[in-house]
Amino acid sequence: MSTATTDNSGGRVVGERVMVDVQGLEKSFGDNHVLTGITDQIREREVVCVIGPSGSGKSTFLRCLNRLEEATSGTVQVGDYDLTDPQVDINKVRRHIGMVFQQFNLFPHMTVAENIMLAPVELGNLTKPEARKRAEELLDRVGLADKADARPASLSGGQKQRVAIARSLAMSPKIMLFDEATSALDPEMVGEVLQVIRDLAAEGMTMVLVTHEMGFAREVADRVLFMDGGKIVESGTPSEIFDHPQQPRLQEFLSKVL
Amino acid sequence: MRALLAAFATLGVLLLGLAPAATASGTDGPATTPVTAAGTEASGSEAGGTGETYVIGTDTTFAPFEFRQGGDLVGIDIDLMEAIAEDQGFEVEWRSLGFNAALQALDSNQVDGVIAGMSITEERQEVYDFSEPYFTGTVTLAVNEGDESEISDWEDLAGKQVVVKTGSISEEVANERQDEIGFEVTALDQTTTLVESVKSGNADALIDDYPVIAYGVQQGSGLVTVGEQVEAGDYGFAVNQGQNPELLEKFNTGLQELRASGEYDEILNEYLGAEDDGVDPSSFWGLIVTSLPSLLNGLGNTLLVTGISFVLAMVLGLAFGFMKIARNPVLRGIAVTFISIFRGTPILVWAFFFYFGLPPLIGVPVNIWVAGVMTLTFNGAAYIAEIVRGAVQSVDPGQAEASRSLGLGHGKTMQRVVLPQAFKMMTPSLINQLVIMLKDSSLLLAIGFAELLYQAQQIYAANFRVTEVLLIAALLYFIAITALTQLANYVDRKVNR
Ligand SMILES: Nc1ncnc2c1ncn2[C@@H]1O[C@H](COP(=O)(O)OP(=O)(O)OP(=O)(O)O)[C@@H](O)[C@H]1O
Ligand SMILES: [Mg+2]
Repeated sequence: MSTATTDNSGGRVVGERVMVDVQGLEKSFGDNHVLTGITDQIREREVVCVIGPSGSGKSTFLRCLNRLEEATSGTVQVGDYDLTDPQVDINKVRRHIGMVFQQFNLFPHMTVAENIMLAPVELGNLTKPEARKRAEELLDRVGLADKADARPASLSGGQKQRVAIARSLAMSPKIMLFDEATSALDPEMVGEVLQVIRDLAAEGMTMVLVTHEMGFAREVADRVLFMDGGKIVESGTPSEIFDHPQQPRLQEFLSKVL
Repeated sequence: MRALLAAFATLGVLLLGLAPAATASGTDGPATTPVTAAGTEASGSEAGGTGETYVIGTDTTFAPFEFRQGGDLVGIDIDLMEAIAEDQGFEVEWRSLGFNAALQALDSNQVDGVIAGMSITEERQEVYDFSEPYFTGTVTLAVNEGDESEISDWEDLAGKQVVVKTGSISEEVANERQDEIGFEVTALDQTTTLVESVKSGNADALIDDYPVIAYGVQQGSGLVTVGEQVEAGDYGFAVNQGQNPELLEKFNTGLQELRASGEYDEILNEYLGAEDDGVDPSSFWGLIVTSLPSLLNGLGNTLLVTGISFVLAMVLGLAFGFMKIARNPVLRGIAVTFISIFRGTPILVWAFFFYFGLPPLIGVPVNIWVAGVMTLTFNGAAYIAEIVRGAVQSVDPGQAEASRSLGLGHGKTMQRVVLPQAFKMMTPSLINQLVIMLKDSSLLLAIGFAELLYQAQQIYAANFRVTEVLLIAALLYFIAITALTQLANYVDRKVNR
């Protein structure tokens, strides 16, 4: 099921250490049984893409990985922390988990740099000048060095999403979660955001991406999960999933989207 | 958010700061002792003499005998008593209580004497000892300026509409002469209403106490007194039977001296005669000059009570607003109850309740400022709580999710991410609420709180220039609200770039 040494992105090697361990995860909203039992392990430096039809529970699954949604049953272990343990300090855990949203969710009342500096300064990791320096480095990394003092409202969608990525990198997370990071973008801006994600992959960031970009999933993923009806229906390398799909439901899904 | 709170604090301070400036004109007036019903002011002779101090009760507004001008208690009774005190070497401590309350206070010896434009009657002589008459009351006929050629005396009333005051001597006089001359009589309950009926043309003439009408004429009420005056009893100063004989003695002696020296006539002339020094009070400019100190005094109290209430309502409103969206059902229940009670009931009910209803429950009198502030604060807080709740809930939930995903806790997320955006959204509604509270503060006149409209009422109760005084009051409200709105918008722009 897991391929420990897939070489998909320029010499990056997936580690042996398990970063995310999900066992029998279920989630209901009232009577709506959204996740019906998910078990999976994600390793250090692994890039996992989650695909599947709308309403299959992809976002819910991703949000359970930083407890934006509480699991109804099962366990979710991230790094050394058990997220389903009520004793765990979730705010501490979340510092190690970066999350990027479809709608960017930049803070409109702050400048770009202030968006990025907020968490390190508020949580006492960096002083203001240090955080400012870090913000500038991160902006440089996503190609927006000149936008530090701009307001989010003045940026294009692609620029906003790159700032959001820089913001979630500010706490030096061990893992990054992306929920359809390019779905709200005009087509011509998708590329610049994917390039940033590609760079992160090359640097060895562990990532889980919910995406509708099948070509990008094939290119960047070490492993692809196909979800349907709140379950992982099939999991494998991009070539296994896209070239040799086993389950009829995956075959049907691919025939529609490819 | 901190910046915004600071801005509101500044606004509050500014409001508070405005008030003393406006009240500086009247020292002993309702500004410092807005409870006119308990107003106490000491004055008297510098000559000192024995230095004996007497507490004298009087009416609140019965111009020209006693009324407030620029916040000061003035009038024939007041001036006369103080002149006598100076002449006889004693001090007067005034209690401006209202006519009936003053007599009650005299009954229970809480005051030493009462001077309140009171007629000497046989009934009253059974319980009080009266001084020599210091004024002979008369009843007069009055008509609109310009009508005096048509109605110049009582006989001209044939076939006319005449208004009188219910239960007064004027009504008796009218009834006596009605059949003989042949006019229609309508009894109304207040002098102001009589004057307005004549001015509006609903009645052709009125019959009422001469001094009251003459003072109004002097102040530009637009009427003129005509015809022969009818005697209606003497006014006297009263002490309790057998009590304070020496005070009565001093009053009588002093009165004689004033009459001899001509000072008595001067005092009467000041209130009843045509004024010849300074501005003519019957002109519009004169009205402004004489009424503005009182009105500004009232405006000061309006701003002060609004300012204090708004600051407190912000604090309470924020608290209840947050409680309403809290996870804890008990907190939510408390907030929902508070908000629905104060949004679901008229302000006036609470003004009466806190001022008149609460004291029997808690066994202590409630200061009128406390009652006024509570009324405006609780009502304002209920609306502000809804404004806060609405604004917080209208912030995109994705904002809080992004913040929490960064590892910021609930408190920090609220403080740094949600509230700044919520405040920005709620500022226009808060400014609006401030303006509403300022306007609502005028309702406090119903409990006798000396705010702007109350002062206006007091003024036209004495000079009967209802329309002009109300227009001046409206203009003052308008200026204050416009200035406040501009200021708030300016602060808003500075803080919420
Ligand atoms: N907060 C919520 N309350 C109630 N139901 C929810 C909530 N969030 C998601 N759901 C339901 O859970 C189901 C799965 O939603 P989810 O957003 O995880 O799907 P998805 O696979 O991400 O779909 P899409 O591709 O459209 O984003 C849907 O039926 C949705 O209506
Ligand atoms: Mg989704």
